[in-house]
Amino acid sequence: MSTPYYIPETNVPLPPKGADVITTACDYCIVACGYKVYRWPVAGGRSGGPKASQNAFGADFPVEVLGPWVAPNQHNVVLHEGEPHHVVIVPDKDTEFVNTDGDSSLRGGCIAQKCYNPQTPTRDRLSAPLMRIYGILQPVPWDFALDVAAEVGNYVRTKHGANAYGVKTYSYQFIENTYAITKYALRHINTANFTFHDTPSDVSSTPGFRDAGFDNFGPAYEDWMNAETLMICGTDPYETKTILWTQWIMKGIQNGQKCIMMTPRRTAGVAYAENNGGLWLDVNLGTDLLVVNAIARIIVENNWQDAEWIENWVNNKWGSNSGFGQGTRNTPWQWRTTWGKFQTDGFDDWKKWLLAQDEFKPEHAAKVAGIDIKKIYTAAEMMAKPRNGKHPKTSLMIEKGFYWSNNTGNTQAISALGIIVGAGGRPGQVIGRAGGHQRGGQRGGKYPRNKSPMKLPGRRRRALDTDTWTMSGHTRFAHVIGTTWIQSMCGSQQLAKRFEELTVANPHQVRAYDKQDIIDTLKRRADSGGMVVINQDIYLVDPIGNRYADIVFPAATWGEDTFMRANGERRLRLYNRFYDPPGEAKPDWWIIAELGKRMGFDGFDWKNSNDVAEESARFSRGSRKDFNMIKVAAHREGKTLHQKLGEFGTNGIQGPVFMREDGSLMGTKRLHDTTRKLDPDGPQGANMFNKKLTHFNSQTGRCNIQKSPWSLFSDYWEWMKPKGDELWCTSGRTNERWQSGFDDRRRPYIVQRWPDNYVEIHPEDAKARGIESGDMLMVFSDRVPSLKETILGVEGSDYSFSGQMKAGNVELTRAAVTGVAMVTRHIKKGILYMDFLHTSQPANALEGRIVDWISGNYNYKMGVAEVKKIGESPYKKSFRSMSFAPRDIT
Amino acid sequence: MSRRKFLLSTGVATTTVMVTIGTGKAATDIPAMVATYPRKKIAKLSALKADEPLNFEYPDEGAYAQSMLVKLGTEAGGGIGPQKDVVAFNNFCTHQGGDLTDSYKADTKSMGACPLHLSTYDLTRHGILISGQAYQSLPQVLLELQGDDIYAVGVFGLIYGRFDNLQG
Repeated sequence: MSTPYYIPETNVPLPPKGADVITTACDYCIVACGYKVYRWPVAGGRSGGPKASQNAFGADFPVEVLGPWVAPNQHNVVLHEGEPHHVVIVPDKDTEFVNTDGDSSLRGGCIAQKCYNPQTPTRDRLSAPLMRIYGILQPVPWDFALDVAAEVGNYVRTKHGANAYGVKTYSYQFIENTYAITKYALRHINTANFTFHDTPSDVSSTPGFRDAGFDNFGPAYEDWMNAETLMICGTDPYETKTILWTQWIMKGIQNGQKCIMMTPRRTAGVAYAENNGGLWLDVNLGTDLLVVNAIARIIVENNWQDAEWIENWVNNKWGSNSGFGQGTRNTPWQWRTTWGKFQTDGFDDWKKWLLAQDEFKPEHAAKVAGIDIKKIYTAAEMMAKPRNGKHPKTSLMIEKGFYWSNNTGNTQAISALGIIVGAGGRPGQVIGRAGGHQRGGQRGGKYPRNKSPMKLPGRRRRALDTDTWTMSGHTRFAHVIGTTWIQSMCGSQQLAKRFEELTVANPHQVRAYDKQDIIDTLKRRADSGGMVVINQDIYLVDPIGNRYADIVFPAATWGEDTFMRANGERRLRLYNRFYDPPGEAKPDWWIIAELGKRMGFDGFDWKNSNDVAEESARFSRGSRKDFNMIKVAAHREGKTLHQKLGEFGTNGIQGPVFMREDGSLMGTKRLHDTTRKLDPDGPQGANMFNKKLTHFNSQTGRCNIQKSPWSLFSDYWEWMKPKGDELWCTSGRTNERWQSGFDDRRRPYIVQRWPDNYVEIHPEDAKARGIESGDMLMVFSDRVPSLKETILGVEGSDYSFSGQMKAGNVELTRAAVTGVAMVTRHIKKGILYMDFLHTSQPANALEGRIVDWISGNYNYKMGVAEVKKIGESPYKKSFRSMSFAPRDIT
Repeated sequence: MSRRKFLLSTGVATTTVMVTIGTGKAATDIPAMVATYPRKKIAKLSALKADEPLNFEYPDEGAYAQSMLVKLGTEAGGGIGPQKDVVAFNNFCTHQGGDLTDSYKADTKSMGACPLHLSTYDLTRHGILISGQAYQSLPQVLLELQGDDIYAVGVFGLIYGRFDNLQG
């Protein structure tokens, strides 16, 4: 860990001519900018000089603006093949896509600091397997740790059933790892007690998109630039996927794009949009649906909808009903779309419903959302009012602030708005997610939903909610991979309490030296109703690893093995290994393979990460990042998949990938591209065409326009909205800090900038509570609702929040989190905002552990809290750390 | 104030920091040069008006030497004068070299937004990044006050475009 003191350096070594140059992409946000690693040995003192003839850039120093400058934070010293090497890691100035101009964010720009170097705060990287013996995590050999984990895991799944073996894993940390993990968990363990880092159940993040037929990541980055009007909901991309903003959206705005941003914070991107002809929709938490439908109402009242598009690409009554059999309709998509609450007979039916809902009148929507009513009319005009007789090219982008504050309702409403303005299937007219993490998921098994005991109205099964399942004591063996689990979920302090009871407070603790004795003790723990925890990660995470894990496996990560991954426009790149992992750390695919072999599973005999990638390729067929043809091309040319993808360097290639007649490869700019002409003779060779290339992901290939009733959510919203001294309390990312700060807490400059969690509060709310910037605050609540058991019910209405309250299945819990006050004009009055994943000050503790009863996701972004000053932070009156200046300066 | 006193008074480090910057990281590659910053008279304290920046060049007249001196009217990290409110910074964004000249904002005591990618810097807190892209703080020009004369005596942080503040 780093202290908040950073001493800037005033010089930096330059890579010499002849330094190794290795391509990669950034490890962090969805955008995945292209980077080059320059590597040269420390021995010999042979660094480059300032003349073009003396350095690897071929540039004279001082360099030009936007030139190949090296900041001191872009240099590090690593071990490569056991020898110390300098590395300079800088954005690729030659890349043609993504971070054109060689741009980078602060996060990726300083990625050299991620590399393990025992002379920096990365020195606490996990480098040996650990086992908790006599209460202390002690280093043990790999075989010892793996044998114990596999035998106890096998025992639990045999004795207590597959669903007693829980797997909680990242969804994104490279295709090779996620393939191995899902092959192990879903195909072999075959557990329904499985989910990813950001959701309690393995369900769609955007149910409305799914129902309408939209892929989350259909658009190309150039589409966001080429839209004439762009509506962005629930994020400021400048803060969270910076280069998507600076290289694409910002250029669109400079070219006259009207950018509408719906979010309660006026951060730099919002301020820039507003100052350049755009619009800020500063809505109260959870009211997005009302504003979106009010905009839609104004559009249809004025007949501004794109009638031709609707005629050609929206299902009518027959299309809406086609393709559904008479069975159980047992997919989430089928039951939602046939339930009657969402399904329509087409545009006219939807319009009739929309106009009949009084809550979507602009006056009402503006009042509840707390915004100026004129903004709703302006937004409707920008999005749909014909300009010179033509419909504007309008696109819509959503992210978590939006889809995690009324998950089902918001995503249904925005899909309908997108459909009527003609977005979805043409250049510059698209709809999609902005994205969070990169897209590194590749399933090696199918989720066994029929093994989940949890259900929805009727006979439909729902993916198992791993949090309530674990709270109820059914998880006897928790296998946690690269996630904090606890702080990432809602009501996190209640989860932590339960983890404590099930693990360290269980009487069966390892106080033995004999392997069999250790195994028997852990088996007794599981049999007694307790839980055994194994954890794979790069650092020891508190509390899941540090306090609760029985065994910790050290993982090798970015730059330490060669991996593949796609970004937010499905662009696949090779992330090359360029240095040695710390100590005995191993990539997650290797750890899984060793466990799999010991459990007696076949198909885990991979020699290297390319073997895993090649095996996974055929499972990618038909998916948005289908890379099977890269493997076909590679084998034709006598290469490996990794070698072939590596030839594309930082440019990569966009999935799905196809092979032309001459054997060359061709990517896919956008999905649902209604302007695209596919080979009329159909796919040749091993190529595979499917509906999503030129049509939508629906039963007919045309969009489903669906209703989005406020009443399915309003009971929770009314109950939740602030009472008494409470304020809305939400959370999210900030530009300078990535995710849980697993790397950033080890970067002195970032720790200096953000030493503690912070609480943004409007000046009027602060004044009323005697709070000034720099004060240390207690943010607390007596009203954190939590589900006691899985949702209980028979009839549809039983499943709603009020139904669960009536059934006595909701418990009110307390939470308390501290943070440093940041009194600022850029946050809307009545709302608090914190960093979402400070592991030691977890904002999610304040959010209700109540899943969206239709989708199974949490609504992480709409809690409430009271706030009071408890003293002053060290940053209030010193000048070295933090800044309390607003984020909207332009 | 000397560079040494500056470091100590702002709670950072010891003299060893100055002479062995880069310990363990390429220390052998970098000749010691800390002592060679020129001492340059740049303004008279009595002539400064609050929130009216004054441009000057430092540590030389080469590329990216343009800097600004400002009396913030509020105490700041590294500030000199009776109110400890006079500070100086290099004018180039430490992301990709955007020119921040004339971007001082009196209400927030900040520089930026950078015209290239919107970074902003807090001048009361050693030029720390407020929001944006830069890889480090805005380089702070270290100041000394002798009578009414303000001298620039060093730079804290690498200036954009250079591999070394004094060698270009």
